[in-house]
Amino acid sequence: MPLNTSASVISFAKQLEADSAGFYEKMAERYPKAAELFLTFSKENNKYTIMIQRAYYGVITDAIEGCFAFSVETDKYTFEREPAKELGHIDALNQAIDMEQKLISFYTDAAEQSKAFMADVPRTFLIVAKKRKDREDKLRTLLKET
Amino acid sequence: MAILEEPIKGIAEVKNYIDGEWVESEGEIQDVVNPVNGEVIARVPISTKEEIDTAVEAAKVAFPDWRRTPPVARARCLFRLKELLEENFEELSRVQTQEHGKTIDESRGETRRGIENVEVACGIPTLMQGYNSEDIASGIDEYLIPTPLGVFGIIGPFNFPFMIPLWSAPYAVATGNCVVIKPSSEVPLSQMKIAELVDEAGFPPGVWNVVNGGRTVVNGMLDHPDIEGITFVGSTPTAKDVIYPRCGATGKRVIAQGGASNFMVIMPDCNLRATIPAMMTSFFGNAGQRCLAGQNAIIVGDDDRFYNEFINGVVDTAKKIVIGNGLDEEVQMGPVRDTEKKTKILSYISSGIEEGAKIRLDGRGDFKIKGDYPDTCFLGTTIMENVKPEMKIVTEEIFGPTMGIIRVKTLDEAIKICDDNPFHNADAIFTSNGRTAREFKYRVKSGNVGINVGIVAPMAFFPFSGMRDSFFGILHTQGKEAIRFFTESKVVIERWP
Repeated sequence: MPLNTSASVISFAKQLEADSAGFYEKMAERYPKAAELFLTFSKENNKYTIMIQRAYYGVITDAIEGCFAFSVETDKYTFEREPAKELGHIDALNQAIDMEQKLISFYTDAAEQSKAFMADVPRTFLIVAKKRKDREDKLRTLLKET
Repeated sequence: MAILEEPIKGIAEVKNYIDGEWVESEGEIQDVVNPVNGEVIARVPISTKEEIDTAVEAAKVAFPDWRRTPPVARARCLFRLKELLEENFEELSRVQTQEHGKTIDESRGETRRGIENVEVACGIPTLMQGYNSEDIASGIDEYLIPTPLGVFGIIGPFNFPFMIPLWSAPYAVATGNCVVIKPSSEVPLSQMKIAELVDEAGFPPGVWNVVNGGRTVVNGMLDHPDIEGITFVGSTPTAKDVIYPRCGATGKRVIAQGGASNFMVIMPDCNLRATIPAMMTSFFGNAGQRCLAGQNAIIVGDDDRFYNEFINGVVDTAKKIVIGNGLDEEVQMGPVRDTEKKTKILSYISSGIEEGAKIRLDGRGDFKIKGDYPDTCFLGTTIMENVKPEMKIVTEEIFGPTMGIIRVKTLDEAIKICDDNPFHNADAIFTSNGRTAREFKYRVKSGNVGINVGIVAPMAFFPFSGMRDSFFGILHTQGKEAIRFFTESKVVIERWP
């Protein structure tokens, strides 16, 4: 079932951020050479969660289409919560890139769906998408260096 | 997705908050029922005449010191209240859902709107400034000082238990007055929670009082010689026939906001992708229980293709609305507040059919509830075509999740229908043509006008307007008009020989 309400989409975004943070914590444990970078990513996720929640709580009013602003098919954006155990570092990095692409896609799609309705929320989603694109670039650089 | 935790556990005992104390009432006790599942979540007292008198006396006694408290110091109390409301944002929102039934998005929206009024009132040091003229005659100066009046009564409705008393109370106390709030006895918990935070914010005893109850409390306010003015939001019959005339008879200031039957005028050049979700929120948000809700859509023009596209779009979207417990984040529409209201809505739908309306989507029984809840207070979304302006479903307020469809050929006809209706609370137009929008805005006699906006809810720094049978009084709640309502203009002419 698609998520239509702002409340459910914000909760979904928070869950994705928490899952992604957990993913990077596992990466840090398994691949200590890049642990600092992965732990930075994990901390950034918490920041994104706060940004999204603030935008939502700041803008939600009875005058906007809060219950009808989205049509998010969650299956498109879900990912494994930790790198598969049998993977080497390179494959794990590819898995992380794949996860980032799904998250970028989620934030971009959700922003597009809600841009006429939710004011600061889509703007915040696009900021997070851009930050994640930067992160994807960093992961690709790391991949090249590995 | 999990259902959010209920903040009210067991049965809350609601008390009155008088003179900074939580006081048990001598009045009879009524149950407060969660409309989702019929569970009793609180017991509320129906307070006595003596109790409202005690609260007014406490407010009267508190007034001289509070009035002498500098506006900056009063503002600091409001800043503390604002911080506490933010800290408790989520709990306050969930309480609204639990006592009223609305969705969590709607409750959070209501919390935000309520807090915005506290924010605006925090600006009282500048909002309350007067003005002056030096040398109106040689050596003589004249100036205006807005001064508080004393005690005000605030009577809230059931549909926005948190927000609506905050359209008035922050401005009343910011300007140096004291208040007695009577929440709706159906939904008293939000105001109880606010009063707890008022207490924590350090307002002096007697400045902010809450007395729960019904007619006795309202009559006690209306008749009390020490109450300077009343703000009321509720039905038109009560606003028009009770509150307004009795305030007039006793020399009280009055803001009496009544009901509505609002129109959404749909032009064939509107952006359907944006208009359809706006229709859903306007007609079915808060289960239609708001005075800004759309009640009838007027489709302009004879373009059958557009008409069918619009109707099919709204019917298809309305059919898919997820109905259930508002604490489930996926739910888009909760129940109506109680069975009495449900029965009334059903009778309006029947009346529409009897008068010739054609049911396109039947929300009387053909709907699913997400989760295992009794259908006691639930309704689906109803869409009726072939509606005529003289039908009761147009001329009277339904206050439920229904949409009537009226077809006209021209914008002139649409504006005439809006203007001939007894209510004039909020009307909106959906169009991509600026000239059409301007024409509508210019001509329609409505207090709140929307252009591509389905819920014309003024921000806290604008008045919540309304005309004719939707409003009785002169000044409105919120913003600068509220400041004006809660103060008298004292004009001083000064000469020092």
